[in-house]
Amino acid sequence: MASAELRLIRRRIRSVQSTMKITRAMELIATSRIAKARVRVQQAQPYTEKMTDVIRNIGAATGSLSHPLLDVREVETAGVVVVTSDRGLAGGYNSNVLRLAERAIAAHRAAGREVRLYNVGDKAIGYFGYRKFASASEWTGVTDTPAYGDARTITNRLLEDYESGTLDSVEVYTTRYVSALVQDAVLWPVLPVQPPEIDEEAGEGGTSYEYEPNAETILGRLLPRYVEGTIFGILLEASASEHAARRRAMKAATENAEELVRLLSREANQARQAEITTEISEIVGGAEAMAGG
Amino acid sequence: MADHPLFTVDIVTPESIIWSGQAEFVSAMTTEGEIGVYAAHEPTMAALSTGAVEIHTEDGTLTVGIHGGFLQIFQDTVTLLTDRAEMTDGGRVEALRLAEDMRDDSADGGGEASG
Repeated sequence: MASAELRLIRRRIRSVQSTMKITRAMELIATSRIAKARVRVQQAQPYTEKMTDVIRNIGAATGSLSHPLLDVREVETAGVVVVTSDRGLAGGYNSNVLRLAERAIAAHRAAGREVRLYNVGDKAIGYFGYRKFASASEWTGVTDTPAYGDARTITNRLLEDYESGTLDSVEVYTTRYVSALVQDAVLWPVLPVQPPEIDEEAGEGGTSYEYEPNAETILGRLLPRYVEGTIFGILLEASASEHAARRRAMKAATENAEELVRLLSREANQARQAEITTEISEIVGGAEAMAGG
Repeated sequence: MADHPLFTVDIVTPESIIWSGQAEFVSAMTTEGEIGVYAAHEPTMAALSTGAVEIHTEDGTLTVGIHGGFLQIFQDTVTLLTDRAEMTDGGRVEALRLAEDMRDDSADGGGEASG
């Protein structure tokens, strides 16, 4: 019976349609989360900007900045932090940043530098775990909606290793949110802290501040907070990128499913038509046989 | 309240700008002791300790519990940068209690970590 073929096609249509419901729901969820994540990125900006201001002012007022976190050391061990998501279904989001990080690790090793790996997100843990890259620390449950406490935990660990001399630099591989359609995997140097450009012309250079207790102490307390703020910003932007990448991937998946349903429906119609044609010719054939007999 | 010239105050945390507006007087606890700020204060940079901040505006007094951070006074703008801040109606005592809670919270750290 031809209806077996028809049944199979209809079953596939139903299966594709239910997948489509899921991808469409994920697309909608991601869309609403991008907006929230973008707002958080924007709200976090004043803090880092003001901090940069303060560091710049201290630099301008004291003539030079000096602090262990600012010193550029010869890099023997490079700290590599890879920020990925915990979940997949986000198109090229994870593979782009993982590829960038893996290439950088290879480059460090080729140059004779040790690499200490810090993984953020299940995807990085899985990727490097499979390739037998041991990691110094790993964190999960962070990138979906990063909290400031997460940034603090990660920063504390990095600063501890940096201050003890286990690390000579920290670079973060993450994804930068450029626009809803473009997110770039980038390298973000974090340690040593790159002091902001001191603009002598800005007119702030001549301001003499009164410090409580003193400039060194304030700088010493400020820089770890600054690193925290930077890491927080990185996490927030990675999160916005993740949701944007997922939205795009799910939109494409939904569109593919729609196309597939269209093609399958056409096939189903053809199969149904063929079945009817067969039935008619059988009836006609039968009737003729009766009439003839 | 006596008439004093106004100046701008911003309380900024990593999550958002908690409060921004005009004030007549601000008091905060630095690591060295209490600091009181009127308009035209000289440029100052101070490390804050966990505690209460009072902002006297034209409409009344606001209290905010803060967790560490920095205070910058520059060109009649007072910027308070802090990890966490919470506004309260409960006055100074309540603000201090909030600040102590924040200190306890942050001692636990956040997120999951494994070595």
